[in-house]
Amino acid sequence: MPATAEITETLIRDHINRAVADVFKTMLGREATSSAQIPRSDAEARSGLEGHRPQVVGTVGFVGDINGLIYLHFDLAFARLGTCHLLGMTEVELDEAGDEVINDAIGELTNMTVGSFKNALCDAGYPCKLTIPSILRGSNFSIESIGQAVRHIYYFDCAEHRVVADILIKSED
Amino acid sequence: MRYKVLTVDDSKTVRIIVKKAFKAYDCEILEAGNGVEGLAIAAKEMPDLILLDVTMPVMDGVEMLTKLKSDPALKAIPVMMLTAEGGRDNVLKIAKIGVRDYLVKPFKEETLLEKCGRVIDLKPLNDAASKAKSIFDPADILVVEDKPAIVQQIQEGLKHTPWKIRGVSTQGEAIDQCAKTAPDVVIVSLSLPEESAFTLFRLIRTNVKTKYTPVFALVVKTETVQQQQAQTLGFSAIITKPIDTADLETKIAKAMNLDTSQRYYATEQGCLVMRLPENCSPVVIAEAANYLKPKFSDAVEAGLNKVVIDIHQLRTLHMGVIKLLFQAMQICRDLGMQFTLVGNAQIISECKGFEDTRGWTFYDSLDEAKAGVSRGASATPQLAGVG
Repeated sequence: MPATAEITETLIRDHINRAVADVFKTMLGREATSSAQIPRSDAEARSGLEGHRPQVVGTVGFVGDINGLIYLHFDLAFARLGTCHLLGMTEVELDEAGDEVINDAIGELTNMTVGSFKNALCDAGYPCKLTIPSILRGSNFSIESIGQAVRHIYYFDCAEHRVVADILIKSED
Repeated sequence: MRYKVLTVDDSKTVRIIVKKAFKAYDCEILEAGNGVEGLAIAAKEMPDLILLDVTMPVMDGVEMLTKLKSDPALKAIPVMMLTAEGGRDNVLKIAKIGVRDYLVKPFKEETLLEKCGRVIDLKPLNDAASKAKSIFDPADILVVEDKPAIVQQIQEGLKHTPWKIRGVSTQGEAIDQCAKTAPDVVIVSLSLPEESAFTLFRLIRTNVKTKYTPVFALVVKTETVQQQQAQTLGFSAIITKPIDTADLETKIAKAMNLDTSQRYYATEQGCLVMRLPENCSPVVIAEAANYLKPKFSDAVEAGLNKVVIDIHQLRTLHMGVIKLLFQAMQICRDLGMQFTLVGNAQIISECKGFEDTRGWTFYDSLDEAKAGVSRGASATPQLAGVG
C-alpha cells in the first residue's frame, strides 16, 4: 500500500472533479464545472463555506487504508431543484413531501459522488469502504476538523449555483 | 406474467428512481430498506430479480447476498448489484459470491432497464395512454431506407392517416431515433449496405424499449433469399417493393393491434352504417368480416335496429363482396334488424347480372337510405331465400 502522503493534491482534485461531473451529468442532466474562481488562501476557502444562505450539506466518509470524509454543500434552492429532477417531482409535490425527501436525495447524490471518488482511490491502491450518508442543514454554520486532517476545498459551478466539495483526509500517524 | 423486482436500498431516493424507471413496464416493484427486510421480502414474495445496494445499515448488501446464496429456497433468485461501491477488488469479491450483473452508481435509468431486460422479459404496459388504439390515433412510424424516393412514397401513401412517418437512411440514425422515442412500428429496408438491416433488427430486439416494437422488412419482390432470412430472424411482416400502400396500412394497423372497425362501421342518426371502400381486396373483406357480428350485436345491444349498407364507393362487385353482404344480411335477419342498400350505377347494373343479387334494391344516397330504413322499407324482398 502506498503511503497516504503520496496522494497528491492534483490526484485528489482530478478524482473529485471527475466524480462531481459524472454524478451531476448522469443523475441531474447538468454540467458541473470546476469553478474558475479559486480561493487565494485556506482561510478564504473556509470562509466561502460559511454562507448565510440556507444550505443542505451531505456527508459520506471512507474508511480503510485511507480514511476521510467529504462534505458536499448545496444551497437550498439547488438542493430542491436537484431533488425534483432526480425524483421527477414538481416544486408543489416537493413541498408536500417535505424536507426528508430533499435530505435523502442530497444524501444519495453525496453517496454517489463520494463513491466515485473512493472507487478511484481503491483502484489507485488505497482500499476503503463507504460510510452511511448523513445530512447537515442550516444557514449559518461552519465545519472545523479536529486532529490531523488534510483539508481540500473545491468549488463547482452548476446551473447558476455553487456546489462546494470539502474533503478531509486523515493524515498518517 | 407480471414480474416482481425487489429493490433493497437504504436510500428512498434510489428506490423511487427504480420505481420510476419501471413505471412503463409490467412489473411490480417491492422495496426494502436494508438486508434484513430484503431477506424477509425475498422469502415471502420470491421476486424474479433483486437489485441490491452494498452500504446499508442493520445488514449490508454483502451479508444479505451471502445469506441469500446459502439458502436453498432463495439462491436461484438473480441478484444485480446497484451500488456506489465500484472499486475493482470489492467488485470482484462480491461477484464471487454470485451476482448476475453489477451496476455502479451513478446510473442512467435506460442502463438499468437494459441490464434488467437481460434477466427478465420486460414488457411495456399495453394500456399506456400514449399508445394508439384506433386508426384515428397518432402513431410514430420509423422508415429506415437509404432511398429517399421510397420514404417519400410511403409518406405520400399514408398521408391520409394520422401517423407520423419519419425517414432515416442509416442504422446509426435509426438507433438514435429509437433511443429518443421508441417508434410504434419500424420499417427497415433490407437493401441497406453490409446487411445492416439484420444488425439493426437484432439491436432493436435487444433494447428493452423496442423489444416488442413491430419491425417490417422492406424488400424487392424477387429477393426471395432475403425474404426468407427476414422471416427466419422474426421480422413482424414483409413489405415488398413496389409498395402497395393500402396493404402496408393494413399491416401496420394489424401490427399495432389497432381497432380498424371505424373504417367500415359507424353509428349515424340512429342507424348502424356499414361502409365498404372503393377497392375491396381480400384483406379488406377479411377485416370487415371480422367486425361484422360484434358490431351488429353491439348495435342491437345499444337499442339500434336499423342498418344502412353503403357500397356506393365500391368500384366493382366480386364474389368476396357478395359473400360479405349476404353474411351481413343474414345477421340482420337473425337479429331482427331492418336494412337498406346504397349503391352506384355500376354496382346496381352488376347486381342485375347475378341470380342471387338481382332482386336487391338500392338507394342513390345515404340520406335517402336512412330515411327509407326508418320508414321500414326493405332492400331484399327475397332475403328469406338467401343464405
